Amino acid sequence: MTEEALFRKLEAEEKNDEFIAVESQTFLQAAWKNFKSNKRALVGGIVLIVIVLLAIFGPMVAPYSYDEQNMALRNASPSADHWFGTDKMGRDIFVRILYGARISLLVGLVAAVVNLIIGTLYGGIAGYAGGKVDMVMMRIVDIIYSIPSMLYIVLIMLMFGASVGSIVLGISISCWIDMARIVRQEVKSLKEQEFTMAAFVLGASSKRILVKHLLLNAMGQIIVTVTLMVPQAIFTEAWLSFLGVGISAPQASWGTLAQDARSLIQVYPMQTVYPMLAICITIFAFNFVGEGLEKALDPKRKR
Amino acid sequence: MSLLEIRGLTTEFKTEQGIVKAIRGIDYTVDKGEVLGIVGESGSGKSVGMLSLMGLLASNGRVTDGTITFDGEDLTPSNLDTKKKKKQYEEKMRKIRGNDISMIFQDPMSYLNPIVTIEKQMTEGILYHTKCSKKEARQKAIELMKKVGIPAPESRLKQYPFEFSGGMRQRIIIAIALACNPKLIIADEPTTALDVTVQAQILDLLKDITKDTDAGVIIITHDLGVVASLCDRISIMYGGNIMEEGTSDEIFYEPKHPYTKGLLASIANSSADKREELKPIPGTPPDLLKLENECPFAARCSEAMEICTKYNPLVTEFSPTHRCKCWLHCRDRYKEVVKGDEADE
Amino acid sequence: MNNEAKTNVKPLLEVKNLTKYFPAKGGKEVHAVDGVSFTIEKGETLGIVGESGCGKSSMGRTILKVHEPTGGRIIFDGEDITDFNHRKMMPYRKRMQMIFQDPYASLNPRFTVGDIIEEPMIIHKMGTPKERKAIVQDLIETVGLKPDHIRRYPFEFSGGQRQRIGIARTLALKPEFIVCDEPISALDVSIQAQVINLLEKLQRERGFSYLFIAHDLEMVYHISHKIGVMYLGNMVEFGTSDDVYKRPLHPYTRALISAAPVADPKQAKEKKRIILQGEVPSPLDPPPGCPFSGRCPYATEKCKIKKPDTYEYDGRKVACYIYAPENVKQYSDAGKTPEEAVFLK
Repeated sequence: MTEEALFRKLEAEEKNDEFIAVESQTFLQAAWKNFKSNKRALVGGIVLIVIVLLAIFGPMVAPYSYDEQNMALRNASPSADHWFGTDKMGRDIFVRILYGARISLLVGLVAAVVNLIIGTLYGGIAGYAGGKVDMVMMRIVDIIYSIPSMLYIVLIMLMFGASVGSIVLGISISCWIDMARIVRQEVKSLKEQEFTMAAFVLGASSKRILVKHLLLNAMGQIIVTVTLMVPQAIFTEAWLSFLGVGISAPQASWGTLAQDARSLIQVYPMQTVYPMLAICITIFAFNFVGEGLEKALDPKRKR
Repeated sequence: MSLLEIRGLTTEFKTEQGIVKAIRGIDYTVDKGEVLGIVGESGSGKSVGMLSLMGLLASNGRVTDGTITFDGEDLTPSNLDTKKKKKQYEEKMRKIRGNDISMIFQDPMSYLNPIVTIEKQMTEGILYHTKCSKKEARQKAIELMKKVGIPAPESRLKQYPFEFSGGMRQRIIIAIALACNPKLIIADEPTTALDVTVQAQILDLLKDITKDTDAGVIIITHDLGVVASLCDRISIMYGGNIMEEGTSDEIFYEPKHPYTKGLLASIANSSADKREELKPIPGTPPDLLKLENECPFAARCSEAMEICTKYNPLVTEFSPTHRCKCWLHCRDRYKEVVKGDEADE
Repeated sequence: MNNEAKTNVKPLLEVKNLTKYFPAKGGKEVHAVDGVSFTIEKGETLGIVGESGCGKSSMGRTILKVHEPTGGRIIFDGEDITDFNHRKMMPYRKRMQMIFQDPYASLNPRFTVGDIIEEPMIIHKMGTPKERKAIVQDLIETVGLKPDHIRRYPFEFSGGQRQRIGIARTLALKPEFIVCDEPISALDVSIQAQVINLLEKLQRERGFSYLFIAHDLEMVYHISHKIGVMYLGNMVEFGTSDDVYKRPLHPYTRALISAAPVADPKQAKEKKRIILQGEVPSPLDPPPGCPFSGRCPYATEKCKIKKPDTYEYDGRKVACYIYAPENVKQYSDAGKTPEEAVFLK
């Protein structure tokens, strides 16, 4: 290049003064990139997907049903036919665990939906309205929270009988409380941000402000909370079933499986270990995913 | 010999997106009793230079090049490759910080510990760096508080930071900075968080202090108004480079760099006889992540030339105190930078 | 526009004795705005200056009914909107808009720039989606950004660019009156002038009226036709910007204007600065008399007991006993103006 060319004055169009260096990526793209780079979260996610697929399709292709007894083969050790062996009634433990996964995941799914709808809206409205409305709504929450959930569940069981439906209903009553509190807190702080005031000055309705500005921005927190609330619900179900308040035989949930095996724990300890492992792995997987999402969706993380 | 001499200091930060070169080979000298103003916008690297000097960089920051000499002692933090060297450096800096070099920060509340009395916070440094009794330290603290204009210092020593107003807290920070008779005082945006009338009080205090002491003072700010009244010399930073440096008169009345000129044209002055139209600098500050070896101001400069987008300019001296880094003034020496074959092409 | 024509036109905005108290702990009240009156004509900029806590932002927000006023009247274009509810305010929301201080907080981070600028038109059901897209395209260029920025998210932009996005959002409604709440204080020096020039250009082209709130005195002087000086929820002086800056009347205005740092070493040296003692008292517990009496070097016993009215003097409104008609007469009998009599004593 000649000196003249080097010292040629640039035209305005040649300068990129409104330059934006950051690659354009949407919030979700950025979050996904971050999530992918988190090994633990990724493993958790894959494990969850495998569990879900197994729960849905496993029982369909299995050669046994969950209540098929084979009295000739009681308490069998693991084999090619029965991967985890059989229980004291000669039922295939692996198939029963898969069946239990269906119940656990159903409970988790219902808890997620309840959290997302009731918890989010309840907390959102309380946080946005503030003042007296907020106070009354939060006192109601306190009351629900202060009554042990065991009590409702036993009552519901008495009224509707011990079934999956009853236990799901029982868990639904109280599982959204934490979500409501978290969303309320989040909304309260977002409400103070100038973009909320901007929307108000522009004339946006309360509904628009709540949904488009407050809850949309709280979405990261909401998703993270859901992934942490779901294992809690799964755990509650297992625990209740283990105590004998939940699902009853011959239906299998992870809790009842552990309960059934408990009497034989000294002779066949593995029968207890399998359902416990299933609970453990599932809850760990959810927690890892939740942690990963928390990091990926953190709005404070600039860029 | 100068009190402080920084040569070719380069500091990098490792971020998720890559390496950010926050400062790119800057030179500073400060003499005893001299007040140097460092002016720059956010992201210009004006604070990073001083944090590098103090060894207070965040954990992802690293000095990669350059030398720092303070009062005849080598304080260069680069090449700390072994643990031993690192430890020695830390040891050395701990003795210097708060003693030979002290800092005044923008936000006094985050610097003062909210649950410790002012007395403890003021005497802590004195007790650490000098051999004196608690009583002497207390006496010294009272003297300092009087000096910075805090009324009734004896009773106020027992109070906690929240019991002081913003301006009073900044006075305490200044008193703490003065406690060990430092040789160098670095004030990072000392008045930015304050209101105009309180800012005037603190600027007055700083002016008195700089007059009284023979310590060197560095004032880091974005406000040209602050440096105009306070500083002997001013250094203008942009995109990690020192664009221009000179005495206040040279900077304000004979600016050479298009950025300095642009800055001066973009501020309003109510003392002027008539209201002049503001001439803003177009565009936005550069992203340091994407900045290569070009002049950082090229994309916004009204005088930008082809070469500015390729090579960082050389330093031109206009007077012993006045230097400027711009291709407009060093065209005759371009072959020092542009490789031979490229120049002939 | 000559003065005669002006007086026949009713003002665009008239604020009468506006007060806003916020409830605080212990049954106390924060006296954020304490009886402020002023008018803004069409196409005019009223600058509001004052230190933090003087209530200038609360006043701007109360006028737009972000906060419900505690007392007083807000009359916009002849209509008293003080008690209007959300539905009745809707047509006025289009006409009265706001530009915010923090460009990082005033844009919804989950919206694209296009969504942000389109939102006001969706709220007010203006145009078809296609028409709205065209307007967004238009506005983004009006504020000096590029069409491909529409799909990007706010966090990708610098402070100045975000502030321009905020302005584009406001323009979508074609407002007549805009409250600019510290629109430049979060921006770098070289960027501030961009925003100021854009606001001035829009005023020339579209006849906007601004209520321009800021603490940067030089910039407020530059952009404003008239200026109101606030102290502790009160407007202590109100007049044309040249009058207020060149010949401030109220003792607080005098101190404030003199304390502002000037970016010019010679002027800074020549400038006589009035350094006020102390700091602004808490609005939780304002003094019973004149709000400034605690720091005023000219305060008398009367000032500390009873709050002065606002007096008309020399074409200005001043809330200070020095300019009470009886005192002015007394001074003029002695052959002096009040300023000569009091300040040059």
